[in-house]
Amino acid sequence: MARLNDDAQWIILMGFLISFSFFFLAIIINQSTVVGQTTAESVIEFPKNDIRDLRGIIEQSANMPYPDNATVNKDITVLSMNRKNAIVKYSVFPPNLPSNPHTTASIHYNNGVTTFYENWTSL
Amino acid sequence: MCFPEKGCKKTGTRRRAVQENTAGQLYTIEGIAAGLIMIMTAYLVVNATSVYTAGDTHISDMQLEQLGSDALNIMDTPETMNAQSELRMIINTSPPDGGAFNTIFLNLINGKAGTGNDHIQYTANYTCRTDPGDSIESHLISYSRPMTGGEHAVRVTKWVTVKPSFPFCGTTNTNRTVLAEVLIWRD
Repeated sequence: MARLNDDAQWIILMGFLISFSFFFLAIIINQSTVVGQTTAESVIEFPKNDIRDLRGIIEQSANMPYPDNATVNKDITVLSMNRKNAIVKYSVFPPNLPSNPHTTASIHYNNGVTTFYENWTSL
Repeated sequence: MCFPEKGCKKTGTRRRAVQENTAGQLYTIEGIAAGLIMIMTAYLVVNATSVYTAGDTHISDMQLEQLGSDALNIMDTPETMNAQSELRMIINTSPPDGGAFNTIFLNLINGKAGTGNDHIQYTANYTCRTDPGDSIESHLISYSRPMTGGEHAVRVTKWVTVKPSFPFCGTTNTNRTVLAEVLIWRD
């Protein structure tokens, strides 16, 4: 009499399993092209070079005589707002001899995502 | 009744007859496989709407920005104490010394290890505030080739202090600060 032949079930199941694992590996390799996206974007977005540059220029302006230092202060504030989308506000205090022989500056920076505040003292 | 040809087996002892029916196993496996194939297809279809390429990671943009920022930093560093930096001397002349900027900047960003040069282009200008007041003006320093608008460029900036002896953005012989901006792209 005819019987239902169920002999090859195990090998068929293994065949399916292997093909699904191939497919899964193909997806993994395909998605590897976007590795590093959020890392690179966060490096671009953080204003490290902007802040370092700003500190440098403010330290350079610390020795300028009046009224140049007020002009440079306005230059930096207006240009930061217009071209760098950042609010910058800083003040430089000359030495107050004999009690305070250091030049100090207080720097505020805010580009909407990152804020930076520093109380800088010269040597 | 339990027929072997229908996939039914008799197991168990002589006292207790247990019937094990394996008739539907292949159908079940086929059903599970079909279901998985359908899910896979649906995933492929939905995923095909957004194709990610290497440029979407912005890694090359980040590298280009860092390269340009470093180059501008080098150009704005004086060689000795009390000397003026190259960038300051370039902007301190009327009109700005575009030839010098072109030579130095291209040399800095297109250097490669080994032979040959890289193919990075740029457009540089500086922006200053018109004194007195709050308006700003931009002036061209130089460019390596005209921009057509189709380039994928990044912008790097550098603050530069200058003290020009000619009328400059509303003042003369005054310490001023300008923002040097350079657009960089790879050809």
